[in-house]
Amino acid sequence: MRRAFRLPGLGTLLAALLAAPAGRAEEPPAVAIVHARVYVPGDHPPLEDGTVLLAGGKVLAVGTGLAIPANARTIDARGKVVTAGFIDAGTQVGVVEIDGERASDDTHAHTPITPGLRMMDAYNPRSVVVPITRAGGVTSVVVAPSQGMLGGQSTFVDLAGDSVAEAVVKSSLAQHAHVDDRTVESTTGTRGGLWFELREALQDARFYAAHRAAYDANGVRQLSLHREDLEALVPVVRGEQPLVVWAERASDIETALRLADELKLKLVLAGAGEAWMVADEIARHKVPVIIDPLEDLPSRFDRLHARSDNAALLSRAGVHVVLSTFAGQQARLLWQRAGNAVRLGMDHDEAIRAVTEAPADAFGLKGYGRLERGAVGNVVVWSGDPLEASTHVEHVFIRGREESLETRQTLLLQRYRTLPFVHDGSR
Amino acid sequence: MRVPMRWFSLFLLAGTWTSVGSVACVRPVTAPPPTHTDVPASSVPADPFASGEARARTPIEAPPSVHGPAVLVQHATVMTATGKRYSPGFVLMENERIAAVGEGDGPAVKEGTVVVDAHGRFVTPGLIDPHSHMGVYPVPNTDGHNDGNELTDPVTAGLRAEHSFWPQDPSLERAVAGGVTTLGVLPGSGNLIGGRGVVMHLAPHLGARAMRFPGAPEILKMACGENPKRVYRELKRAPTTRMGNLRAVREAFLRAQKYARDWDDWTRKQRQPPEADGKKKGEDKPPDRDLALETLALVLRGDILVEWHCYQADDMLTALEIADEFGFKVRAFHHALEAYKIRDVLAHKGVAVATWDDWWGFKMEAYDGIPENLALVTEAGGRAVVHSDSELAVQILNQAAAKALAAGRIAGVKLDDDDALRWLTANPAWVLGIDDQVGTLEAGKRADVVVWSESPFSTYARAELVYIDGQKVFDRAHVGAPWSDFELGVRAMPSRQETK
Repeated sequence: MRRAFRLPGLGTLLAALLAAPAGRAEEPPAVAIVHARVYVPGDHPPLEDGTVLLAGGKVLAVGTGLAIPANARTIDARGKVVTAGFIDAGTQVGVVEIDGERASDDTHAHTPITPGLRMMDAYNPRSVVVPITRAGGVTSVVVAPSQGMLGGQSTFVDLAGDSVAEAVVKSSLAQHAHVDDRTVESTTGTRGGLWFELREALQDARFYAAHRAAYDANGVRQLSLHREDLEALVPVVRGEQPLVVWAERASDIETALRLADELKLKLVLAGAGEAWMVADEIARHKVPVIIDPLEDLPSRFDRLHARSDNAALLSRAGVHVVLSTFAGQQARLLWQRAGNAVRLGMDHDEAIRAVTEAPADAFGLKGYGRLERGAVGNVVVWSGDPLEASTHVEHVFIRGREESLETRQTLLLQRYRTLPFVHDGSR
Repeated sequence: MRVPMRWFSLFLLAGTWTSVGSVACVRPVTAPPPTHTDVPASSVPADPFASGEARARTPIEAPPSVHGPAVLVQHATVMTATGKRYSPGFVLMENERIAAVGEGDGPAVKEGTVVVDAHGRFVTPGLIDPHSHMGVYPVPNTDGHNDGNELTDPVTAGLRAEHSFWPQDPSLERAVAGGVTTLGVLPGSGNLIGGRGVVMHLAPHLGARAMRFPGAPEILKMACGENPKRVYRELKRAPTTRMGNLRAVREAFLRAQKYARDWDDWTRKQRQPPEADGKKKGEDKPPDRDLALETLALVLRGDILVEWHCYQADDMLTALEIADEFGFKVRAFHHALEAYKIRDVLAHKGVAVATWDDWWGFKMEAYDGIPENLALVTEAGGRAVVHSDSELAVQILNQAAAKALAAGRIAGVKLDDDDALRWLTANPAWVLGIDDQVGTLEAGKRADVVVWSESPFSTYARAELVYIDGQKVFDRAHVGAPWSDFELGVRAMPSRQETK
């Protein structure tokens, strides 16, 4: 299979790319990362002494013994590791600057049923959290509402770009339904009541989708949601847009699976502290599960059976496991989540897939999470094993362009590297 | 070193868990208060504090009377946190103590000694987390066990975290499984002076007091900055500002000064010879005991260590100015995300910095946190400490040190693994005043020992064996029924043992 990563007809393609007219000067220069250990898609072991070629914002080729284009910038990555940029599938990056300051916190609406809310509208590509996250080897994130029974639509962004338009890859990625203890409290007060309301909303959306004209003519029964919210749920009830159900308790996970069967939903589970208890059921439904492997405590009544090896048990049962930090400021630590999944029993390469391919596949993000020809040029060069604490990120490419690793934190370090710091404007 | 005894140290000495040694190890950092007059111990009369304080420290549970066999761990890389590393090395534990540690296979094995072949493994002292709310904010988070912050007054110096501590907290066992053997359990940071913390040794007991670390000094939790003013703003009472915070702290210590003076006066009178008219000494009634002022007076005397939650550089400097004003020492700033900005001052003052590796941004005063904080404080000659403040982070304290070590090295700070190990062991032991007992692998110290699957600075490292006082309290290969009664019948199949 190794040959699969060689690119037939490379010369022709390269010539075409490199001969691009001068008018495309904004395009990043071609880059050849050579002599690296390269993590490639699927069960294939990493390539040793591999090469990754980037051009035109894309991955041009991945393989061993590839010819290096003459004008490509070459990065000697001997002893280093190259992966696709990590993808965190459940963050609040760019929608919260400081949690404790409400004015900077746009992670959720303050009412529980807002399916029409779009996180894209709150996303701030100029947040200081963006470069900090990127410097941790995370190149793309799902920005999801952090609360709400129907909390709104997540957006998928690359952690680059000077505007929302540039950063956003998929404006409306998925709908997010939280069915945890907290949501129960903020809605009907009981679990049954919450599921009732959720089901009613989805069924009303289905009804609405089938009777739009009558609805517009005021000719339908009263529905539980406003038009914008119903409209937002139409792709969900048609099975086109994933519904991410954030549930911890095994019984809630079972209910979510039942509901998905009933209404033919494209389900993704998140949180899922007790998922290991219903692993086979989840695997049978081929439903991806997004979990934080460090969340091993019975911290609430809906996760009394939480275990530290949730990821390993799910993965072994054949569940599509995605690892996430579920964080805002600390999404940069996705590598550590994956590393701990390994410490707690998950296969190492599988853990890397769980932060690259798996999130991309869970949301149908073509070209993401894989180092293969034609993929988006989101690539990270690590000084060693990406999941080890002693490793650091050396280069981050997003859409083929190298991003600076400077952050507000590196500027603080610079300023205070030697004391005393006297403010004369020089650092 | 024996120190001049004063009335305040009397009841510390009378306590079951204290010794002259522990008081002595506290003393050197504390300037004697100016109002004090030394008198020979023998002339100090018995006072109501002594018996009261002693009773407030005596557990009703009998201490364990059976000691397990001696344990020899050999063929390991032994990291001692003293600057020495033995590879291969051994640790011999006997009668609760480290009997010997060094290079090679160790002494000839005596009959009955358990030998642990730790080939390829790493051995360190038990990790010490000086900032925990486990037990007082246990899991699951319930109204019934929401016992960490007494939010009825911003100064609650008379409280003891020990009295909120739930020994059945399921998170305690997981901390031990992460190689942690000792905790500084503190009240929350909702109050300016939250109350006394308690140093806990993590062998399971039914009562909190029996878990107290033998001989550990008393510690006091204080908090500056955002939390108290936020809490009391919501309650619509003072303090609602930083200046309100500081006024309340200064007023509390002013009252404590007077309280200490009243007791000093009374004590001095007791020592005076009978008056010419034959009136006997001791007829004056002693001042009323006040739990809060007693605690603060003990702080002024240097007998209680101040653990001060403070994030910003300016808040820490203000706190140090208040401490100087009243003549007490700050043992450590906790959280201290901006310590790197004033690391020279903190090193000079001998104030430790207990902090996370890379937390930041969760509130305004946490905005300037950087991952190099621990490294920079160390480089400046300060005492840096990794803490968790979290029942999740406590399980991977070793990783926190590993990350801070890596961040420091990239920034060009010269650090060796032993520096990072000291962030987890010797330095937090000092913060809690138990560095004469634990924190390093040295003969004579308590046998709190962890055997790791690999270097503790690897993400993949797992604590395999954990010993407290030479007794095995965790064995990854034989994880049995849960410690906590709460988890009986809850943490169900498959086996509790984690996936290999």
